[in-house]
Amino acid sequence: MFNYVLKTLIRHRTRSLLTVTGAAVAIFVYCIVGSVQEGLYRLTSGADADRRLIVFQENRFCPTTSRLPEDYAVKIGKIAGVKDVLPIQVWTNNCRASLDIVVFNGADPKKIQSMRPVKLASGSWSQFETQRDAAVIGRNIAMRRGLKVGDQFTIGDISVRIAGVFQSEVPSEENLIYTHLAFLQNSQRNESVGLVTQHEVLLQPSADADRVATEIDVQLRASSVATKTRRKGAFQASTLSDLVDLIGFAHWLGYACVGLVLSLVATTTIMSVQDRMQEYAVLQTIGVRPLGTLRLVLAESVLLCLVGGGIGSGFALIALQFGGFAIGAEGATIAFKPSLWLGLSSLGTSLCVGLVAGLPPAIQTARMSIVNSLRTA
Amino acid sequence: MNILELRNVTKSFRKGDETITPLHNVDLDVRQGEFVSLMGPSGSGKSTLLNVVSGIDHVDSGVIRVNSQEITSLSRGQLADWRAANLGYIFQTHNLVPVLTAYENVELPTLLLKLSAGERRARVELALEAVGLSDRAGHYPRQLSGGQEQRVGIARAIVSHPTVVVADEPTGSLDAETSLQVQSLLKRLNQELNITLLMVTHDAHVATIATRQLYLDRGKLVEELRVERQ
Ligand SMILES: Nc1ncnc2c1ncn2[C@@H]1O[C@H](COP(=O)(O)OP(=O)(O)OP(=O)(O)O)[C@@H](O)[C@H]1O
Ligand SMILES: [Mg+2]
Repeated sequence: MFNYVLKTLIRHRTRSLLTVTGAAVAIFVYCIVGSVQEGLYRLTSGADADRRLIVFQENRFCPTTSRLPEDYAVKIGKIAGVKDVLPIQVWTNNCRASLDIVVFNGADPKKIQSMRPVKLASGSWSQFETQRDAAVIGRNIAMRRGLKVGDQFTIGDISVRIAGVFQSEVPSEENLIYTHLAFLQNSQRNESVGLVTQHEVLLQPSADADRVATEIDVQLRASSVATKTRRKGAFQASTLSDLVDLIGFAHWLGYACVGLVLSLVATTTIMSVQDRMQEYAVLQTIGVRPLGTLRLVLAESVLLCLVGGGIGSGFALIALQFGGFAIGAEGATIAFKPSLWLGLSSLGTSLCVGLVAGLPPAIQTARMSIVNSLRTA
Repeated sequence: MNILELRNVTKSFRKGDETITPLHNVDLDVRQGEFVSLMGPSGSGKSTLLNVVSGIDHVDSGVIRVNSQEITSLSRGQLADWRAANLGYIFQTHNLVPVLTAYENVELPTLLLKLSAGERRARVELALEAVGLSDRAGHYPRQLSGGQEQRVGIARAIVSHPTVVVADEPTGSLDAETSLQVQSLLKRLNQELNITLLMVTHDAHVATIATRQLYLDRGKLVEELRVERQ
């Protein structure tokens, strides 16, 4: 019987092909939108987002405007609940929202290794530690910019030699370029020596993140520059707040894609079934049960959706895997990554859409009057 | 023994204000191996009679028994299963599934029965051989002539070894020569395979191939002729 479904779809080649293509395009977009949502969710959740604090200058937004004394690290380190502090100088080529954002983080190589969730995929860490203008770069930006170990990478006033490419379980990390703190401080026009953009605070396992954050701001209020300390997730969400609104809006685009597939496949199936009511009447006369023809129609619409959805999500996942896409603003980035869940959810969505699209005509065949359908020859 | 029994079968249709009653308290007994032809004016209810016997239409009152099983009390799903196992239906036209080959069309009913792959193939091949189309098994309906198409339809109707085969004007849309071929085929199937046949026709000549001729008029069935076969 599956043979019959397949042959029916193949017989109406053009119609099936157009429907599958339409479904594929829509599910492709659905997948991309989904990966953006996932990226945003990852950025603001998980251990990296929840158990780390970012100390930033109060009322400042873009990394170039936040200037904190480097020695704040010593004061912060003494506060109860703080395990370690990483002073970071941030430099970005673009403070506005951009799809090709380049973000440098300057910090002590030893501390980067111990505090950041990075793992070298190629190159050498010791070369990074010993060479003044060396950098290790995330896999994503390496892919996007076509960079590899040994390359010289120049952007603006900054020129670094790539000592390694790293990967990370935190996808947004893979968009970063790490350099020595002193190197990044010195390469900037306005005097930055002794100043950093932010301090990243690693908490003791038992520490209450919000309490420690308040304590840091209170302690530093008396010093030269006032600070604002937040959990890393909250910090990134507020940094990207404009984008967060946009991304929140984009999920409607995802629903629109589902609606598109639904109406496309529903139209095709209804047309195809109404052309063939007599054929279904013949099948029922032969002895196919009403539920049997219902299943045949559903199989048709589900097959169209699954093939379209499979192609669309397949292309989307490949594009996400090898495109190294990321969107960023003010030094924070959202990485678009493929994931198993994304693939499964878009296939699941295709399946559901196929069932819903096929149900009305399927029920129509199950409830038709065989005699009347045979008479309308 | 009667293979088919109709008792007090009544069926009427409403068309606006008027009610048409093509079957009015119809009784009929058909024995195993009989070939019954059914004639009557257009609109007299011949197709309606075939349809209620096939269980694709329901009666208003009365009982139909096939092989002692009362089909008038079966549900829609049960009727479908019953048809798969017990009924062959030969249509006038447009009866083959266009996307399937002759072989696949004949195979369709066997897919609804519990058969092994080997048994299935044997039955399909036998049915195609019986209608003389073994060499056209791989052809699609559009590649067959009208007469060949009808023969594939006949093979499909007999492939599951049904209790009763009904045919609604099986030669109605064929030219004289192909009509003769199909007639002799039906006659052969009845004589050689002892298949019980109930055939509607407009053509008095065609009716003569049957062993028994019935006439339906104004809701009543009249026996015209009965030839006892040796
Ligand atoms: N579904 C229906 N709704 C209303 N009236 C119907 C329906 N089916 C059949 N009829 C009517 O019942 C009568 C018998 O129809 P039927 O098709 O059985 O006639 P028939 O003897 O097969 O005619 P023909 O020789 O032209 O095929 C006709 O008057 C027809 O109009
Ligand atoms: Mg008729």
